Amino acid sequence: MLSVSGTRNSDYDGFSRRNFLHLGAPVLGLGLADLLKIRALAKETVRPKTNKSLIVFWTHGGMSQQDTYDMKPNAPAEYRGMYRPIATSVSDIHVTERFPMQAKVMQHISQVRSVHHENGIHAPSAHWMQTGYFGPTLARNAPQKPSFGSVIARTVGAHAKHMPPYVTIPKSEAFGYQGAVYLGKSYNPFEVGTDPNSKYFKIPNLALPEGLTLKSVESRRELLKKFDTLNRDVDKSGVIEGLDSFKTQALEMVTGERVRKAFDLSSEDTRLRDQYGRHKYGQSALLARRLVEAGSSCVTINTGYWDHHDAIEKGLEEQLPPLDRAIATLIQDLEQRGMLQDVLIFCAGEFGRTPMINGHAGRDHWSNCFTVMFAGGGIEGGRVVGASEKFGGGVVERKTTPMDLLATIYQKLGIPLDTHFNDASGRPTSIIDTGQPIRELS
Amino acid sequence: MFRFNKMLNFTEWHPLVAWLIVCVLMLLNADLQATENTTRIKLDQPEQKIYFLTDVVPVLTKLNCNSGGCHGKSTGQNGFKISLLGFDPELDYAAISLEARGRRISPADPDRSLLLSKAIGRVPHGGGKLLKIDSEDYKVLREWIRQGAPGPDPDAPVLLRIDLSPGDQVLKQNSNLKLQVVAHFSDGSQRDVSRQAVYESNYPEVATIDKQGLVTTQSRGGLFAVMARFGDQIAVFQGVVPYNSSEASQHKAYPSPRKLSKIDQHLVAQWKKLGITPSSPADDATFIRRVTLDICGTLPTADEVTAYLSDTSPDKRQRLIDRLLERPEYASYFALKWADILQNRGSGYSTSKQRAGTMLFSAWIRDSLLSNKPYDRFVSEILTATGSQAENPPAIWYRSVRNTSNYVESIAQCFLGVRIQCAQCHHHPAERWSENDYYAFAAIFSRVGRKGGFADAEVPTNEIIYLKNKGDVRNPRTRELMQPRPLGGPDFSISRFDDPRQSLAKWMTSPENPFFARTMVNRMWGHFFGRGIIHPIDDARSTNPPTNPALIEELAHDFSTNGYDVKRLIRVITNSSAYQLSSVPNQTNQEDTQCFARYYPKRLSAEILLDGISQVLDVPTIFPGGPGQFPEGMRAVNLPDENVRLNFLDAFGRPSRTSACECERTDAPALSQALELVNSNEIQRKMTDKNGYVERLGTNTKSHSENVRAIFLRTFSRNPRAAEEKMAVEYLNSEKSRQEGYRSLLWALLATNEFMMNH
Repeated sequence: MLSVSGTRNSDYDGFSRRNFLHLGAPVLGLGLADLLKIRALAKETVRPKTNKSLIVFWTHGGMSQQDTYDMKPNAPAEYRGMYRPIATSVSDIHVTERFPMQAKVMQHISQVRSVHHENGIHAPSAHWMQTGYFGPTLARNAPQKPSFGSVIARTVGAHAKHMPPYVTIPKSEAFGYQGAVYLGKSYNPFEVGTDPNSKYFKIPNLALPEGLTLKSVESRRELLKKFDTLNRDVDKSGVIEGLDSFKTQALEMVTGERVRKAFDLSSEDTRLRDQYGRHKYGQSALLARRLVEAGSSCVTINTGYWDHHDAIEKGLEEQLPPLDRAIATLIQDLEQRGMLQDVLIFCAGEFGRTPMINGHAGRDHWSNCFTVMFAGGGIEGGRVVGASEKFGGGVVERKTTPMDLLATIYQKLGIPLDTHFNDASGRPTSIIDTGQPIRELS
Repeated sequence: MFRFNKMLNFTEWHPLVAWLIVCVLMLLNADLQATENTTRIKLDQPEQKIYFLTDVVPVLTKLNCNSGGCHGKSTGQNGFKISLLGFDPELDYAAISLEARGRRISPADPDRSLLLSKAIGRVPHGGGKLLKIDSEDYKVLREWIRQGAPGPDPDAPVLLRIDLSPGDQVLKQNSNLKLQVVAHFSDGSQRDVSRQAVYESNYPEVATIDKQGLVTTQSRGGLFAVMARFGDQIAVFQGVVPYNSSEASQHKAYPSPRKLSKIDQHLVAQWKKLGITPSSPADDATFIRRVTLDICGTLPTADEVTAYLSDTSPDKRQRLIDRLLERPEYASYFALKWADILQNRGSGYSTSKQRAGTMLFSAWIRDSLLSNKPYDRFVSEILTATGSQAENPPAIWYRSVRNTSNYVESIAQCFLGVRIQCAQCHHHPAERWSENDYYAFAAIFSRVGRKGGFADAEVPTNEIIYLKNKGDVRNPRTRELMQPRPLGGPDFSISRFDDPRQSLAKWMTSPENPFFARTMVNRMWGHFFGRGIIHPIDDARSTNPPTNPALIEELAHDFSTNGYDVKRLIRVITNSSAYQLSSVPNQTNQEDTQCFARYYPKRLSAEILLDGISQVLDVPTIFPGGPGQFPEGMRAVNLPDENVRLNFLDAFGRPSRTSACECERTDAPALSQALELVNSNEIQRKMTDKNGYVERLGTNTKSHSENVRAIFLRTFSRNPRAAEEKMAVEYLNSEKSRQEGYRSLLWALLATNEFMMNH
């Protein structure tokens, strides 16, 4: 078992003396020897040797599976929706006519059509899909578990020294559940801040201001180390820990060229920029590619709101074509650069949408059976895992849980599935408890 | 387009009838199906009457059928819609017994009822198999159907209250406690409903609760509350889990009760229960920095620190607090806080002429604080504001707060500490608030009229607020006409010549009001301690109880019986021993984050941090808009609204003032903040300004030692330790350029946690 401490504020890398005694208690079934082993392991580096990264297209609000990947052309009109399926590069796979570009690279794309969880409200569902765990309740809606992005930031880290490991474009979403929680605030995502398609897109303060030299930054860094001596034990909120880590990171970032270059979309060939699409999705996908190329290990693109309770057609007409272009171009671009094996692409939201169209020409929340998409990263493409019922309502084959999806991601990124972190109560909590990687994608 | 009726016919034979219920909160499996012998319904006595409201609905609630993810959501689930958490039994009864051509229940052959055959999974069900055929819940539902599925019965005993036992307790870590819930009915009967009640813990890190009402404490100390709900009744259990055995904490370390204020006595009582000893008192240098930042939002100057440290009088802390409260910076700092809460917003009005209005409102707030206007009057003037906004600045509040939901939600959250948003569409699931409460409250504002308007005004902001003759609010679901009534208050009996807002202000600010004083004292406590006694500070619920009820009552009583004197309230809080504790934890209180046994450090908020840097470097910020826009040398804290672009302020969590929630302002660390500090033009400019402090250090004739001591007093409000002074002087000697040396040193000190935190 691999175990990592959750906080830095107590003895034994997170196992405080008191917890130490409690952990020895029979309640948890851990003997002293086990505990010593955990402690020894905790001190080892857990950073897996991997060059894999993840790019996520997060369909915040819930994208309709039935109008995109899992079409039901033979269902009655009130189920099948307005789009027709089209053939793809894989003979027996059909997708919506609004995904013509993905259709051409379907040999790289696999779908899981049998994702299921048991909540139909945005926030708890987003928590479930982002963390693998059901969590927030009426009594408290605060996030309870770390997001997979933060887990990746903490375990894999950045592949290059100066890069932020975990980035969200343009900002974090998912109702506040894309953060690190007890992993520590320093594993929260770096928010890009603005739409990469905007002509004003720029990360502030990446270039040294005029008059400031590398040498003086260097001596400032040394001085800061000497004088930044406030007792770290005074803060339990994680603010100081976060400030420490971001200060270190910021100083590294500005002294290297790497980060500034990674964020500089203008250095990209304009034809490629056009190919990705001059819109939010396209330029975000291009930026994501540049970031993983430069060393980020998880980039999440938050693709706006897909909560189409009303007039779903209008919403999808606006959102599907640019999403299609962004995903398909990213796959092609990665392939041409020989990076597709190393970059896993994942497209999902907190749930799908009801199979039946409602009275407002929209679809409601549906977590009973919905589809997510994987591509690259060493998964087998051109596959369909699981199946939904005739009209899409339920899973008929291979029920897949949010945690199965996370286990698949972690496995592909080389993160041991029994990695543990101490939660806020000091209890070692597994990044995966009941989930299994989807072996059909291996 | 698909219509409801059509769908019902369709579902008669369609396999997708399967999906009557979909989502189930949490794990509903084995533990739910386990039968318990706590129920008092004797099913072997067929004459026992099963009531819809108190027997059937609770089963639907416990099984999550009526949860927000399933049939309880506003659109229902696949044609079956019941009310969220069972708060509308008439609707539920109609949905179950009448819709779907009555197939959901079948009294002639109860087991064939869809309600049952779905729940046990005999007929495919989207929500899965929820019940076992031999379970108590199944028997209850079956027996109800067999009795003819009677609807809500006006003669049925009414649920009056539920009792949760045992009462509040101290529990050991890693221990269990079974809670029992007893329902009391209007016919005098009682029933154990532990199995039917639903439970939630507000602090699962400290203690969890399962579906049967079994509390399990974890391997740490702390306070927690468990909510139990049955029908429309809620009861709360509060538990204390000691961090340490009482022997481990040294009671002798507590100050003697004689010396303690009432506030401190309430805290000490709790610390004893938790087995924690408070940290030692903060030293003078720490205290002057802390209290100056907390009251005035500024750093003390080097001279102030020196004078204070050499003062030997025993009441110097008290006198310092008094002095700070008289300074204009006090009013500026708290005006910033109130401008956030009152949403004094500059953006979003599609005109650039709004600055005059935000300045006017902001100045009115500042003047109110400066003159220590009693808090009840301050609030009343805002609530009842009438007339031209240009002449009566509090009416500017009505600029950002413009419609029914704005009025209700802003006032409830701002002044009553209640988040009532849920009740706009359904009964608040964790509270007593119903839709009628919401819309009756809204009715108070139904006659607020507006004339003129700012968009086309010659004079900026000249909207006029007046009382209309007419204006109704109806409950949108029942269409019932609502009489103006405040939350938890009486109906106002007023004529149409009276402004109901006057009655609201009177009700709200009366000393008997249960929310008003409590919300303000909690807000102020949260300001000084970094955490409310109720936390989050504007989310008072019976299910989110204060961590120290006696303490908050004490403060509220003191506040309301002393004329809502805000400065007095601040004195009471800042003169307490608790506020003056060190932030450095000891062995016993290091895990505590709820009980104020030490000072919890806070990061300086965006404006305060920027102003602090400006103060140390003696270079004011230049705000966009040119010199004509704001006075030269103005501090960020005095910005009238948020619509002044400054990346530094946004990176450090300045709110956009779009809600009444203080939570919009954040202190979460982020990489962009570090980049601002390390690498922004603004900081670089302040470091290199020809008239700034760095330049003066570089050209003065004082020794490095002398300068270093002055620098430490200026930034950290303390003298350097010997080792620090030595390190700094050594560095300065090693640096060829004197200016560059001081610049780097200052930069480093400003980037330390010690500078960025109030600790």
